[in-house]
Amino acid sequence: MTLWLPLLLPLFGALVMLAFKNPRTAVRVALGIGVTEAALLGNCVVKLRAAGVLQEGRYLRGDGLTSFFLINLTLVFALVLAYSVGYLRHVPKGRFSSPRWFYALVFLFLFTMLAVYLSANLGMMWIAIEATTLASALLVGFYNTQGAVEAGWKYLIVCTVGIAFALFGTIALYLAAVRGGVPAEMALDWAVLMDAAPQMSAARELLKLAFVFVAVGYGTKIGFVPMHSWLPDAHAEAPSPISALLSAALLNCALYALLRVEAITSRAIGHGFSHTLLLAFGGLSVLTAAFLMIVQRDLKRLLAYSSIEHMGIVALGVGLGGTLGLYGALLHAFNHSLAKTLLFFTTGNIREAFGTLRMDRIRGMARALPYTSAVLVAGGLAVAGMPPFGLFVSEFIILTSAFTQARYLVATLILAAISIAFGARLYHCQRMLSGEAKQLSARPKAPISEIAAMCVCGACLLVLGLCIPAAFTAVLRNAMAVLQ
Amino acid sequence: MGLVEFAAAKTLASSAVFLFITVLLMAAAKRTSTCIMLFGVQCAVITAQILAAAFVYHSREAYVVAAMVFVVKVLAIPYALLGIRKRLNVPGGVSASTTPAQSVYIAAGLILLAFLVVQPYVRALALDGEMLAAATAVLLTGAFLMVSRKKALMQVIGLLVLENGIFLAALTTTFGMPLVIEMGIFFDLLICVLLLGVFVFRIRDTFEHVDVSKLRRLRG
Amino acid sequence: MTFAIDFLQVLILVGTAPLLRGLVGRIKARIQNRRGASVWRPYADLRKLFSKEDLISATASPLFRLSPMILFAATVAAAAFVPTLHGFALLGTAGDFIVLVYLLALARFFLILGAMDGGSSFGGMGASREALVSTLAEAPLLLALVAVSIVAHSTSVAGIVRWSSGQPFFHLSPVHALAFVAFTLVAIAETGRVPIDNPITHLELTMIHEAMVLEYSGPSLALIEWANAIKLNLMLSLLVAVFMPWGIAPATSLHGLAIALAAYALKMVLLAVLLAVLESSVAKLRMYLVPDFLGVACALSILAVVFTALKR
Repeated sequence: MTLWLPLLLPLFGALVMLAFKNPRTAVRVALGIGVTEAALLGNCVVKLRAAGVLQEGRYLRGDGLTSFFLINLTLVFALVLAYSVGYLRHVPKGRFSSPRWFYALVFLFLFTMLAVYLSANLGMMWIAIEATTLASALLVGFYNTQGAVEAGWKYLIVCTVGIAFALFGTIALYLAAVRGGVPAEMALDWAVLMDAAPQMSAARELLKLAFVFVAVGYGTKIGFVPMHSWLPDAHAEAPSPISALLSAALLNCALYALLRVEAITSRAIGHGFSHTLLLAFGGLSVLTAAFLMIVQRDLKRLLAYSSIEHMGIVALGVGLGGTLGLYGALLHAFNHSLAKTLLFFTTGNIREAFGTLRMDRIRGMARALPYTSAVLVAGGLAVAGMPPFGLFVSEFIILTSAFTQARYLVATLILAAISIAFGARLYHCQRMLSGEAKQLSARPKAPISEIAAMCVCGACLLVLGLCIPAAFTAVLRNAMAVLQ
Repeated sequence: MGLVEFAAAKTLASSAVFLFITVLLMAAAKRTSTCIMLFGVQCAVITAQILAAAFVYHSREAYVVAAMVFVVKVLAIPYALLGIRKRLNVPGGVSASTTPAQSVYIAAGLILLAFLVVQPYVRALALDGEMLAAATAVLLTGAFLMVSRKKALMQVIGLLVLENGIFLAALTTTFGMPLVIEMGIFFDLLICVLLLGVFVFRIRDTFEHVDVSKLRRLRG
Repeated sequence: MTFAIDFLQVLILVGTAPLLRGLVGRIKARIQNRRGASVWRPYADLRKLFSKEDLISATASPLFRLSPMILFAATVAAAAFVPTLHGFALLGTAGDFIVLVYLLALARFFLILGAMDGGSSFGGMGASREALVSTLAEAPLLLALVAVSIVAHSTSVAGIVRWSSGQPFFHLSPVHALAFVAFTLVAIAETGRVPIDNPITHLELTMIHEAMVLEYSGPSLALIEWANAIKLNLMLSLLVAVFMPWGIAPATSLHGLAIALAAYALKMVLLAVLLAVLESSVAKLRMYLVPDFLGVACALSILAVVFTALKR
């Protein structure tokens, strides 16, 4: 039951939410369900830590990697839920824009993401990832403006095509397994495939083909560069808490799927091919995103490109391989999700105060919104990889891995990209913060829930930067052990 | 040989040809409803092929899969798409960026490309080259339709044809995946089509047209 | 004995051509909810025309009188290449399918010349349109036949038919399927049916064949109309013989020939019905869309030829 309950509760909660038409009741019910869900997930993580591996039925499984990502998801989701309570007062009227629809869709989205993390079977994982696209599409198009509808359409089409390619890759993997002697009903089960991987080493070409398609397919959802066209639009046009969920939770979800498949192919035919491909994607993403950040005009698009850049760094970390590279990559994914959540929370406040997110129209933020600008600057420093925050540690680990393997090109790439991105962000932020505030709508003080969420987020980042708790390191080590 | 065995064997041998014909006709089609019906015909050919394979290899699961393909892809999805098209009521045919003759040339080129691409795998895996080439050709044509047709509904149809190609490739190489996975995939596909339909209506309502080549507000 | 049957084949093709035309017209009329003229009407029309006088414009040259005769002769010669009852044709050994196509082209060439020679503007206009359509239709026709002949390892039409009739039932190969579709499209263009050309229209905007024969009268017109009907019969018989050869007698026995005759009649009636339905359901294409239509046929026939290499 440990795995079934947290999986089914959000689905049930989504259906239940639709019954509450009164906004305030809806919000309270949502908070209640959210708290219960967080408790259940915490219980799940603790049980996983004790047991190592939990398998329930044929389709649900949890191990070290699962618990790591579950901690990530729980944290981000709790923060987003807390933030959205205050945010929802300002949602414009429309067909789907009442709180009950918002929370119903958010819980559905959570259900699909949990299905990805808890699935034992590669086929189920694929179905769950496709379901995350479908569940979040209506959230992206939530505001029903022209930009939102266009972003939602592009998101649906590009991601569905990408994930169809991932299906092709999964089928090729299945074929390699069946030809390697694995019985057909078990040939999509991850644990079985990991055990049988040495048997599959004869089908080299097929496994390479499978990995290429899976990397392209799940890479579309992660945001690797040739396939990233949906990401800036979707993250920019969605409501701020949804953008935070997309950037922080969904990208990690797709990364998890890619890591699972990469583990199988690496064990079967070795690291060489998959790591080269990941380095290529990572390098391309990092450079393109960094350069494109300079010419952005919308704040949320800037943050979206920053997400692409950081996912590129994660890919470079995984591609470098070894203990350090993988450790750094996983830690970086975690830190990035927290930092991005923080930044997207500030955009919500900025939009409310200034009415727009166009950076050339925002002036004098430092004087108008002192606390928000402080958080924005702190978040910007965090995302750039500055010392007191967690991303510094993870990027440092990845760079160390690059230098110890004498991969100077990769290290230079990372450093160059980080610097360019930092420069771009500095330029944009400096323009926004200085000067006279032109238009300012009178708004009440930020609700306590928003401030609390942001503070908790910042605190986590600081903690991860200064001193990672031992329990967390243990979880991280378990996760890495699973992949090697 | 009994009549049913004969029919099954002939179906298996000639379904690749029917798939090529539907691919070429879809490229040449000028009206959206023609394309939707050709998609239905394509899925019917796939159903017939699965049934024939189920009969020849005595697989019970394959009958269930064939029934699912028939209900979801031959009946439900084309019916939904035709309904959407009728309610959208947007004139102007398919809004292709290439003439029918050019599209047929490109589709023919894609078929030849498909044959070229599957050669190494056919030799390595000892498969039926024609069927795998047909699957790849369907995939490539789906991608071509998505790229060259400007109506939003045509992009949906292109996406469905692309998924058809992938499903067909799965069928040719592995005789299908475990049943639960197949059902999950079909369910996903159905929800996807429904959502895309919702979005097409939203596009029409917010933009006053359904021409996706004009959705260029978000760039850079 | 074989010679007698071959001669009979030619007689059937030439003699039943007006009947086929009448049948198509009658079915179209029924579809349009009219009674329609009798199926024997074209024979009555031919008899009427043969008994009338030939009126020739003052500016015409002897070519004007000669063209219908050359046209008719070439078409009948082409008809002698097509086997309908058994796998041999009267001129089967005298040439291959290229000669067949070029006999038809010869006929069309002289029709165009005659039309221009008549001196009216309609003749010139019809001639230019017909030249466009025939130029574009020649490539797909040849390529489709080339594809089929490569597979049949024979260049004579009779040889192709013999090979086709020896294949097992319902053996559908990509080459034949593509060549069939391409050939059908070209047949529609060559015989001047809807959607390329409307055989009963007399509007300036829509005429192609009718514009060319506007100046002709009397026996010349009879010959041209008969040749047109023979061409339709020829193309449909070729379609039936190459792609649907079931029922063709393998050996020269009376029993086999009777079956072959019945099968041929059945297939031709079926094709006549399908042609009538097609003509009633599709609108005529505007002139600038005709190259596109034939471009599709060309692409399909090229693909058919490439497939002959892929199948090996």
